[in-house]
Amino acid sequence: MSRRLFPALLALLSFTAVPLAPALPTDAEVAARQIALEVAGAFQNDGFKVRDGHWAGRLEKGEGKLIQVNLFAGNEYWFVLGAVAPATKVRIAVFDEAGQPVESEPYEGTVSAAAGFSPGISGPYYVQIALLEGDPAACCMLYSYK
Amino acid sequence: MIWFPRPLAGGLAIFCLHATALAEAPALAPAALAAAVRSDEVSIPTPGELMAALDKLGKPDWAGRIREPITTNFSRRAQMALNLGGLIADGYIAVEAEDAQQLKNLGRDILEIAKALGVPKEIRDRGKSLTEKGEEKQWDVLREELEATQNEVKQSLAANQDQPLIDLVTVGGWVRGTEVVSASIAEKYSESGARLLRQPAIAESLAARLDLLPEKLRDDPVVKRVREKLAELARLVAFPRETAPSEASVKALHATAAELTRIISTKEKK
Repeated sequence: MSRRLFPALLALLSFTAVPLAPALPTDAEVAARQIALEVAGAFQNDGFKVRDGHWAGRLEKGEGKLIQVNLFAGNEYWFVLGAVAPATKVRIAVFDEAGQPVESEPYEGTVSAAAGFSPGISGPYYVQIALLEGDPAACCMLYSYK
Repeated sequence: MIWFPRPLAGGLAIFCLHATALAEAPALAPAALAAAVRSDEVSIPTPGELMAALDKLGKPDWAGRIREPITTNFSRRAQMALNLGGLIADGYIAVEAEDAQQLKNLGRDILEIAKALGVPKEIRDRGKSLTEKGEEKQWDVLREELEATQNEVKQSLAANQDQPLIDLVTVGGWVRGTEVVSASIAEKYSESGARLLRQPAIAESLAARLDLLPEKLRDDPVVKRVREKLAELARLVAFPRETAPSEASVKALHATAAELTRIISTKEKK
């Protein structure tokens, strides 16, 4: 019996956070997510769990995106941004709920960037992603925690 | 605050470490914050994130948080959805408590409500490997695979245009989760534990979603009562950044969440 019931439980967990009828991701967004996952995967050896949810879209030069996240004090987080060509350099930064930049550990690759942050206060924070060099391209932001 | 993950030395060789740890970007204007993307997939934390934070304060008595079985024969979709969310939260608790029997019981209740709501069978068939891991009590593996499974299924559910229903499930789950977490913190009060209860943006977002429900759902008697009580709960989890709520405040928060849970799980008389 449990072989039938437990999948139902697991499947229904998905109800908890779903946007209305999201558009199917483009090939470029899938590729950008893959880049972000590769970066985030490196943190797993240190006990970080990569959240399966992500935000994907298109970055235009000079038009950064701001994404709200809700964090818990005491946890450690890595926010990762992956992008594809023709983007050549991207940036990711974290801000508190008052809009002030927070201290974080930044890492940058050619088309990826990451910011490590451990909040002292639970609540909303904002992740800013931006295209610094190159032309508009698909990107993907995700995060890991422990 | 500064910390470095060990794998960076190898796995992230492509990176260049920048010496400037503090973001040099200018402060963001309130209008920019208000316009920020709010995506459930990244803006609503997973139960795993909260549990990770709680575990740092000492292993909670998850088994002691398991509640008595609730009725599942609700007659209205709104109440079904709210309780589905609560039962799902119970499922997370059962996993944390490593209680396989409770998980089976919850699975039965969830399946009953899910069928009544018309959840597609193919979705329920997903996750057979997870079932096996559950039977084999591979709890650590389950925790990791749980979230991946639920997000795969999200895409399918979202395509069904069931956002109002999904919103109610989300509310039910958050309320039950807040009840359980606040109970744990109230039982072994500490300021650091109490600070975990600060979730102003989530509460505000959920209250706003209820306000935007279709009129038929919004006027449901249980939904009406939930909206009123949720507004009260939203105020209680929106305490200032600089201060931790007192033990009395945590108990008041728990009492409100428990009352909400009771409202949600009590079948309305016709």
